[in-house]
Amino acid sequence: METMLGKHSFPHRRPHRLWAVGLSFLMALVLLGAVRGTALSQEISVTGTVTEKSGFPLRGVTVRATGTDATATTNQYGKYTILAPSSGELTFTLIGQKPGRASIGGRTTVDITLERISFLEEVVVTAYSESQKRSEITGAVSGVNVEQVQKRTGASVLQRLDAAVPGVTVDASGSPGSRSTVRIRGVSSFQNNDPLYIIDGVAAQDSYINFLNPNDIQSIQVLKDASAASIYGARASNGVVIIETTKRGASGPPKTTVRVRSGVASPVRGYDDILLTDPNAYYQVFKTSYENAGQAVPENIYGSPTSPTIPKYIWPNNCGPDEAAGVCSNVDPASYAYPDNLIMASSSGTNWWKEVFGPAYVGDYNVDVAGGSADNAYLVSANYFDQNGTAKYNRFQRGSLRVNTNFQRRKWSFGENLAVSTDRHNGGLPDDPTGYAEDGILGKNILMQPIVPVRDVAGNFASGKAVSLGNQSNPLKYAFAHKDDLTKNDRIFGSLFAGYDINSRFALRTRVGFNRTQGETSFFTPITPENSEPQTTNSNFENQNDTRDWAWSNTLKYLQNFNKHGVSVLVGQEVSKTTNRFLQGQCSGFIDTDVNSRYLSDVLCDASTKQVFSTGYENALLSFFGKADYNYANRYIATFTLRQDGSSNLGPDHRWGTFPAVGLGWRLSQESFMRDNKTFSDVMLRFGWGLTGNQSIPSGRIVAQYSGDRGDTYYDIAGSNSSVAAGYRLTALGNPDLKWEENNSLNMGADITLFSGKVDLVVDVYQRKTNNLLFAPQNPATAGIAAPAIVNVGKMKNTGIDFSIGHRSTSWSVNFNGSHYSNEIESIDGDADFFYGPISTRFGNQVINQVGQPIGAFYGYKTEGLFRDDADVAAHAQQDGAQPGRIKFKDVNGDGQITLADRTIIGTPHPDFTAGLDVGFYRGAWDLTATVFGTFGNDIFENQKEFYVFREFSTNVRKDLLNNSWTPDRPNAKYPRLDVSDTYSSALSDFYVEDGSYVRLRSVQLGYNVPSKYIRFLQATRVYLQAENLFTITGYDALDPALPAANITQAAGDVRDQYRGIDRGSYPSNRMFSLGIVTSF
Amino acid sequence: MKIVTKHPLVFAVSLMATVAAGWGCKDFLEKASEPLGTLDQNTLLNKAGVEGSLLSAYRILDCTSQFQPDWGCAASNWVWGSVTSDDAYKGSESTDQPPIDDIEQYHWSTGKSEDYLNTKWRGVYEGVSRANATLSLLKQVQEAKPGEIDEETANGIRGEAVFLRAHYHFEAWRMWGNVPYYREDDTDFKKPNLQSDAVVTEILKDLDEAIGLLPTGPRNGQKGRADQWTAKAYKGRLQVYAGQFADALTTLREVQSAGPYALETSFDKVWTGYSDEANGKETIFAYQASSNDGETNGNNANYGERLNFPHSGSPFGCCGFHQPSQNLVNYFRVDAAGLPLALSDPSWNSNNANFTAANNTVAVDPRLDWTVGRDGVPYKDWGKHAASWIRAPAYGGTYSPKKNAHEKTSGAESSVGWVPTQLNSVNIHIFRYADLLLLLAEAEVEAGSPANAQTIVNQIRARAGVAVQGPGVDAAGAANRALIAVPINDPSITWATYRVGQYGGTWTQAEARDRVRAERRLELAMEGQRFFDLRRWGIAEQTLNDYIAVEKNRRTQLGAAEAFTQRHRYFPIPAIQIELSKSNGQNTLTQNPGW
Repeated sequence: METMLGKHSFPHRRPHRLWAVGLSFLMALVLLGAVRGTALSQEISVTGTVTEKSGFPLRGVTVRATGTDATATTNQYGKYTILAPSSGELTFTLIGQKPGRASIGGRTTVDITLERISFLEEVVVTAYSESQKRSEITGAVSGVNVEQVQKRTGASVLQRLDAAVPGVTVDASGSPGSRSTVRIRGVSSFQNNDPLYIIDGVAAQDSYINFLNPNDIQSIQVLKDASAASIYGARASNGVVIIETTKRGASGPPKTTVRVRSGVASPVRGYDDILLTDPNAYYQVFKTSYENAGQAVPENIYGSPTSPTIPKYIWPNNCGPDEAAGVCSNVDPASYAYPDNLIMASSSGTNWWKEVFGPAYVGDYNVDVAGGSADNAYLVSANYFDQNGTAKYNRFQRGSLRVNTNFQRRKWSFGENLAVSTDRHNGGLPDDPTGYAEDGILGKNILMQPIVPVRDVAGNFASGKAVSLGNQSNPLKYAFAHKDDLTKNDRIFGSLFAGYDINSRFALRTRVGFNRTQGETSFFTPITPENSEPQTTNSNFENQNDTRDWAWSNTLKYLQNFNKHGVSVLVGQEVSKTTNRFLQGQCSGFIDTDVNSRYLSDVLCDASTKQVFSTGYENALLSFFGKADYNYANRYIATFTLRQDGSSNLGPDHRWGTFPAVGLGWRLSQESFMRDNKTFSDVMLRFGWGLTGNQSIPSGRIVAQYSGDRGDTYYDIAGSNSSVAAGYRLTALGNPDLKWEENNSLNMGADITLFSGKVDLVVDVYQRKTNNLLFAPQNPATAGIAAPAIVNVGKMKNTGIDFSIGHRSTSWSVNFNGSHYSNEIESIDGDADFFYGPISTRFGNQVINQVGQPIGAFYGYKTEGLFRDDADVAAHAQQDGAQPGRIKFKDVNGDGQITLADRTIIGTPHPDFTAGLDVGFYRGAWDLTATVFGTFGNDIFENQKEFYVFREFSTNVRKDLLNNSWTPDRPNAKYPRLDVSDTYSSALSDFYVEDGSYVRLRSVQLGYNVPSKYIRFLQATRVYLQAENLFTITGYDALDPALPAANITQAAGDVRDQYRGIDRGSYPSNRMFSLGIVTSF
Repeated sequence: MKIVTKHPLVFAVSLMATVAAGWGCKDFLEKASEPLGTLDQNTLLNKAGVEGSLLSAYRILDCTSQFQPDWGCAASNWVWGSVTSDDAYKGSESTDQPPIDDIEQYHWSTGKSEDYLNTKWRGVYEGVSRANATLSLLKQVQEAKPGEIDEETANGIRGEAVFLRAHYHFEAWRMWGNVPYYREDDTDFKKPNLQSDAVVTEILKDLDEAIGLLPTGPRNGQKGRADQWTAKAYKGRLQVYAGQFADALTTLREVQSAGPYALETSFDKVWTGYSDEANGKETIFAYQASSNDGETNGNNANYGERLNFPHSGSPFGCCGFHQPSQNLVNYFRVDAAGLPLALSDPSWNSNNANFTAANNTVAVDPRLDWTVGRDGVPYKDWGKHAASWIRAPAYGGTYSPKKNAHEKTSGAESSVGWVPTQLNSVNIHIFRYADLLLLLAEAEVEAGSPANAQTIVNQIRARAGVAVQGPGVDAAGAANRALIAVPINDPSITWATYRVGQYGGTWTQAEARDRVRAERRLELAMEGQRFFDLRRWGIAEQTLNDYIAVEKNRRTQLGAAEAFTQRHRYFPIPAIQIELSKSNGQNTLTQNPGW
């Protein structure tokens, strides 16, 4: 260990990183400036003005001269200047406007008027890469403003969807490369509520999607209701997110775009804002807690309570084995020996937060080349993304390469989308602690008292080894020890596709998708002799995870328009399979702990501790589907969908599920009585009903599984004390009758364009009922501990509304979206009307899933303030440990005593309302855009109070604890009386429940489109300054109200939705400032 | 190409038909539906499968490794049998494992107690369920493959499984009294609980069946297995517990006279990490712990005891739980004749101060220093126990548990796992011969033959005087096995005056009762038995309320203890299990009275 510490110097990151930000930015400018555009002969200078119908000048219109690579952009007056062949043609494009085209014909002034695309005229990609006009869509489909998405900085596109779509919530932590929990319209199942992602036609169910470079994305559509999503039947019950990367329609010579962004992230708030950093102040809390309990104040650290001092040393806390306990005054630092004789001086106040967390550098570098002609299009894009964690020694890096091609050959079309990516995550700091709160770096931060020094007298990491200093690890050591822990994911994702247009009516498409992931993880555990609960043996584990998905889909499309009737029919078939193999090994007692020696080899570690195992799973889906659209005069629209899926996860007799859907649309504005209505320029009413399915459960659960484990079922029957013989047990019960979970969804909506296109309004109301909910109801213990069978019981309902309203003009734009849902468990199984949450914290389980309540409600006692005095205690229902100053619990059932039966629902993590607001201002070459997110009415169970209020494990405490705790003079104090023998007030109750509402300025960006006269060689250059999470308005008085979902998987699958809104120390959100440049040539 | 362009629809339809036929065959989904990397029941339908299933039923004798995070189902019952009694405190400090504070202070209806109670309930019924799974698997193998398991082996397997089932139900019964009984043919796991007496009848039925089936020595010579004598001894235990003294006398006398058991020659060999001394003649039934057996977390190495070692200043490092009470330490004081002071001097419990090597002139029973770690007294061969070994003296007192600790030179220590210094392969006695003899002595007392009880008590006291805690380390401070136990008058002893005398005279029944009970406390202290004994004797209420009345002045947190009353006769059945056992909306499990 000593050598390990000695070998590595500690990088001084902060100044270094800041420097890098500026440097990389400058380099990018120089690099770009060095590239020269090519000039063409016989060119003339053309100028002109682009206006919209009303005569208002259009800013930011891209003007291209066909046949050359000349491009210009209009200024705030709609004016442009371009060098173009005098006989050529100009094209004008601007998002939201129909493209314009004009021949130059020798003119030097070409003015043009562009026509706005109304909302309903937008073309979006929905099912199986088919595009539809919005006016033909009868379901609830929301498009994502990709421009806004690309302005955010999360590693994954999923993190950037937050606040972007009504009815869609995203929770992620500030950990680089964090997992995202995307939920569409509430929660419909007890487990596995991730939506289905269709990326270029290939399905993926993944909470990270880190392999996808957000800059490659062209469009994102969210299919929110069954009538839109049921074409994806089997896995669509949580909604579908369709992501297209293909750059369609790019034609012309190669166009290169470079995007560089550098930034610095820092945590929004730190524990040093909340916790004590002064040992003297901590001692007051410590002393008062003992004195109030009538117990002797331990003297081993601060000495006598009458004259406490900060000692010179905190360890050893006595001088030898025969010495009495107490402060040791005659420590000989020369006797230091690692690991057997450690000596730790006291700290005058360690700010543990600052030791571990600080600003971190983030960089994002992209180059892409796109081009094509009438019969081909291509995109080659490369990305390097580098995000350091705000916690020391952790970092996420991604490199990706994408090649999309598309060829047309008469009636044939074919091509591929291919993304190759690798991501590396250093530091092994998870998004959230998977065990107890104190297992994560945030928890460890709370657990350290300010008197504990960061390092001992010899420079090795110190910790609270002495009694009363807690029993956890030095958080900085934890971070340092895991700096070489590496999680790698290598991914090949993409598809090959071909199409054949048989004639003008029939078209065939086939697509083979593949998704191959290879993951690797290694995790090292060092010795911790400095801890009061020391780890005396090091160990390392590593694993490899190999998943292969493939899917093959074939579709036939028929299109026919006669008179006012439009018919389109799509029939298809799809097959997909996933296989996985996971291999893990571990070993303890490494002789050399250097990262290069951490291999599972008999000579490197204690061979007797070496263990290797592997597991695997596979599952398959087989599907047939059809969709028919009928359209009368663009006025009446009907869509019918039917899908059949067979899943290997389900019982042999129930494998096949049928998922029908119907959608009806009435474009009211096409009716004669609505035409030329000044207020309602376009109105479409939509109705949809449909069924979708869910079979996302672990595979192989239709039969009983037997297994065993050396540490579980094996036994030393021979009494040898050092060897065990194999034993087996039933590990999981099977259910051969497993069938589909079905989601029955009803949606009504309206798309309305008001005031000649100035305002777009979309409103949807819905109800989603899940039947045959896949669920593993807990068995009574008398049935054994085998994982209970998954059965189809239970019902859940979500009802809600979501809407968006937007306005866009050339000088400003605004879009507000809001959503509300209410979730209710309607039934669980015949007998139980509740079951508890999936995990317990130190003080018990605070979550209940109860009929009539939403999933994951908080459960515990209701409090009625603090006991005022003995009379108050006597007057109250009998309560264990009742004393003045302790928390008074409500006798809910009125039986005169406080028992478990008095627990009740005390909160819900579900918000009443969430909202997103995008605003933009455009002024000349400048633009300013901002995104605000708000959530209202959700509760947070602030579990960290276990530590920083109740001092479980002698942890650090809140700054305001001493002066806000109960005394006879402060009968209505915020906190109960400080009292080490009060194990009662900490019972799970609404004392822990806080309002989690907040409004956050998610991102604000100031951009400047550099006029080409300043950068002659570049066609379009944009520089911008960006800030994220600049401010948060919240009453939540802990680290961060934006909590990621915990990572909990049980035998029945991913159950994170049963454990939401519980603050147990997750990696906090970042505040980030960055500087970027986008340029193309 | 021509066909395609000429008959595009034909092509399209045939392409799709081919695809559908190719993938539509049943096999595609069928093949992917099988679980990978596990066994199915068919694989285990053979001798090896049945034997393996039986082993898992033994393994769950200690289930803490699978029932994290609490220690409610440790094989030793230290939470339920010791901490709840006058033997021990929870120990450590108030902020660690606070649920055990609630249990110690008789607040058993709180959520924190509930979690621990639920762990114990789950642990015992998982034992029952593994035993029953073995029995039904055995039946299936015998039906499907008649020659696979010979009759003798089949009887042995059946007998062991039935014995284990009886043991797990006994554990449930001793905790909760009114519990449901499950056998291998049960398919309804929401059965109502039986009345306490009926549970006894069922356990006896299983023990009798086991006695009829089991061989007289452990099958395959494997010492961890129950044999006929184990089952007989256990039957006697149950009979004493159930107050059936006449029957108990018959059963236990037979075990005493004809059984294979004897006391270890000296007390240090009873609880030990030396594998050559494990499973000696005193072992009737023990949890066979193992360390360094290839398991990477030390799960088999007494996970249930891992908190019960001296704290950070000690060689073990953690965690200072299960600390002997001041009351217990005082109880080991003896009079001039070497007999318990507690039986003759009303002020035996007056010492409030740390009882250390400095008090070496005060005579004590030598078993004190095999049971309790005290300052200045050698701790097996680890050197002298010191103040720095104690986590929070004001809270948990100044003593450490000792029986479960391994000797440094025993090699029992794990080399893997979290704080492996507190993981070891010391077997946990579930039932040992001294325990049996003292139960027999009780039966003799109650049956009116106190002289026989006197003989037994003196036999146990004689053994207690054979060897006492020695220096454990040589002059250079190196651990030395030969120095751990020394004769009672060894000159190297400077930390204590050891004395253990024989009872003379003739005992009255009342004297006999007190003396047997006193001996039982001294002999089995810290072994998870005391609380159940007090309750069985009907003196729990008085003893424990008296204990708290004194002890709350030593450990102030005990001032918050609830009065021990009639309802504490049984622990409350975990509320969650009552909920989970609802059938058609009705409770099938009835909560114990008063809860």
